[in-house]
Amino acid sequence: MSLAQRFAKLSVRAKAWWILGLIIIFALVVILTVGSNYYNNFSQRLADKTNHIIVLPPIKPISFSLGLDLVGGTRLVYSADVGNIPESDRASALASARDVIERRVNAFGVSEPVVQVNKSTARGYQIVAELAGIKDINAAIKMIGETPILEFKEEAPNQPAATSTPATAEVTTDSGTSTVTLTPTETSQNPADIVWQNTELTGKYLKRSVLQFNPNDGRPEVALEFNAEGAKIFEDITTRNVGKPVAIFLDGYIISAPTVNEAITGGKAVISGQFTVEEAKLLVTRLNSGALPVPISLISQKTVEASLGSQSIANSLKAGLIGLLLVSLFMILYYRLPGFLSVLSLLIYGFTVLAIFKALPIWLALILIVIMVGLIFYTFNDLKIFNGTLALLFAIIGILLFVYALKPVTLTLSGIAGFILSIGMAVDANILIFARTREELKQGKSVSQAVDAGFKRAWPSIRDGNVSTLITCLILIFFGTSTVKGFGTTLFIGISVSLFSAIVITHTLFVVILGDWLEKRTWLLGVRKAKAEGAEVGESNK
Amino acid sequence: MIYRIIQKRKIFLTLSTLALAAAVLALIFWGLNFGIDFTGGSSLEVQFTNYQPTIAEIQDSLKSADLHNLVIQPTSNSYILKFKEDSETAHQAAVGDLAALAAAHDGASFKELQFDSVGPSIGQELKSKSFNATVIVFIMIIVYISLAFRKVSKPVASWKYGLAAIIALVHDLLFILGVFALLGHVFKVEINTPFIAAVLTVLGYSVSDTIIVFDRIRENLPKSQEDFENTVNRSLNQTLTRSINTSFSAILALLAILFFGGSTIKDFALALAVGIFIGTYSSIFIASPVLVIWDKLAHRAKA
Repeated sequence: MSLAQRFAKLSVRAKAWWILGLIIIFALVVILTVGSNYYNNFSQRLADKTNHIIVLPPIKPISFSLGLDLVGGTRLVYSADVGNIPESDRASALASARDVIERRVNAFGVSEPVVQVNKSTARGYQIVAELAGIKDINAAIKMIGETPILEFKEEAPNQPAATSTPATAEVTTDSGTSTVTLTPTETSQNPADIVWQNTELTGKYLKRSVLQFNPNDGRPEVALEFNAEGAKIFEDITTRNVGKPVAIFLDGYIISAPTVNEAITGGKAVISGQFTVEEAKLLVTRLNSGALPVPISLISQKTVEASLGSQSIANSLKAGLIGLLLVSLFMILYYRLPGFLSVLSLLIYGFTVLAIFKALPIWLALILIVIMVGLIFYTFNDLKIFNGTLALLFAIIGILLFVYALKPVTLTLSGIAGFILSIGMAVDANILIFARTREELKQGKSVSQAVDAGFKRAWPSIRDGNVSTLITCLILIFFGTSTVKGFGTTLFIGISVSLFSAIVITHTLFVVILGDWLEKRTWLLGVRKAKAEGAEVGESNK
Repeated sequence: MIYRIIQKRKIFLTLSTLALAAAVLALIFWGLNFGIDFTGGSSLEVQFTNYQPTIAEIQDSLKSADLHNLVIQPTSNSYILKFKEDSETAHQAAVGDLAALAAAHDGASFKELQFDSVGPSIGQELKSKSFNATVIVFIMIIVYISLAFRKVSKPVASWKYGLAAIIALVHDLLFILGVFALLGHVFKVEINTPFIAAVLTVLGYSVSDTIIVFDRIRENLPKSQEDFENTVNRSLNQTLTRSINTSFSAILALLAILFFGGSTIKDFALALAVGIFIGTYSSIFIASPVLVIWDKLAHRAKA
């Protein structure tokens, strides 16, 4: 006999116990995922106290991703002017502008900056930079806003009458590594007197630059490395300028104008000017961050001081716990035993939603979602209201939840508000079910019949009611700004999970505790038995 | 016991008409107090310790920064400054002046808690985005209701359920806007993007509330021996407890945010709470009575 057949032969109660076991495992997994740090601390202390006799396996901790308004930091929105860039090059220009800003921000020492390009409606492109935990925002804004332009120039054909002798620079070639050392020609013709013209080579072709020290005299110098395309252009330029100077301009200022002795292949060069270590370092940073291929201007910023952020976390936590407490009290006082069951479901609900907010490893996300969707299908099949539409609905919800479980949901103030609101809304399905169960009880049904009918009859309303809120959430997610998006996302996840907790978990708990003892104590469900026998509460009562 | 809600519909419809008239007047005369998300400009929250300057002192200290439309609002432990300029230069000038104000007093210190700036182009964009989202929510709701009620045709056509739900939605929308026009006028409460999220959520919530009542009507109609009016009234009574309890639990959660969640999120929670309250009211006292009135009008036309 296969496992499935054996399971099918079990009594209703025995099946419910098995399902309950699965739910308990599920609950343990989500609780451990959410409280991974607490668990690790606890197991550490336990091991210390018992002289490492009891050693619990550690869990890899996953942390929540907190938004800027909770950790403090700044969000800068730049508009990118792509007016002068041909349509076909815009995407790549914006992408490289994004990279440049990211490099500049990295140089500033911000951990995990987020820089992204947004196509805004009708008004062109925006580049958004989110810098968490940054202290000196003003300096960061300056750093990002600066547009150092690195250019390589050659002598224009029409020079003013030469005022000095041709360059006598010393250029050495190390053919082995194709590294060329160019030494500025300060003794020769003053570079400022030369009329320069642009070459195709710009900072765009620079792969990277590093600070190094001249092995001979220990002076700091800056090594440049071009990408393949840049190396080719550099070779062309040096070929046609043998015996002539080539100048390196940064932000329109000449920083070096060495003379080329022979064509340089391999795409590597060294600028050895009269640098101090500090100057060379700065130059490397600026060269690496490169020039912005697109002019940008700051159009919006949102800055939150770190202490305000931690205050917000404390406030939200307090509001969440008080909200949970109020809703739980209300449910227990009003619905008694079923209310208590719904509070148990609500607790598992809370931990499940919080677990989905974290970036879960794929196997864990898969297990959680498969258990949830599987149990939903099982419960609806058990209630005999399973059909294709329902399967499709939960398949879609399951896939969306899976996607959200894989990536971190950035928690912002509005996102947490969405979560707290969803605690209040999560009991909606239970309220519908319990109200229906009471009605059925009053019509004289037994408790187990009434519970069964309550779940069955309440489902169309639960579905119609929640689907419209889910649709609204999806619209908020797709059309909103980041605040609105955060709220829509957490509310969406919350309501989706509530369908699982309020129906599957509550139903299973109900089936497990149902029995003769409960039939005699209908006051636990808020209905007096005497009334249940009377018919006066039945149909028409005007 | 059964509440005669439908029978007393005139009371509720009159109440709502009066409330909506007041809301429209408030919107016309006071308008909505749009925040910087929509108008563009800056909002700066600062905190002084060991020294609480008066508003006039802050104003004086900011003279050199030359900020336009400067508004200073004291909160329990900070000051919120709003001004028209959105540039970083204006921001730094203001912060510099305020730091100088604190430095002029012994032992006082100054901290910038929060700064938001929105350029006019972004404000424009947010406006159009919000408008689009609202329109799409309305369209989706109409589509959803007409799908959900496509099988109901007697005695009221299915599209009339949809239209009744939309009337309730417009009722809710006007009411919230009216309340916030009043709050904006009296308490300087501003409309920013979170408010739009709150309104859209309330629209979704209100329609789900209405759908649950309509679902019950749909379920009762085929087996009912009463006329349409009484069937609707009985359905309303059957769903009444649920409607109130669901809203009550959602409002409990929102009250927790309102009182303990901090000042930043207060207006948002308030908009949601007001909206959920009125959404529940309209699904009970507006949407279903409208259905019944429609049915009566149709009968009168036939007669």
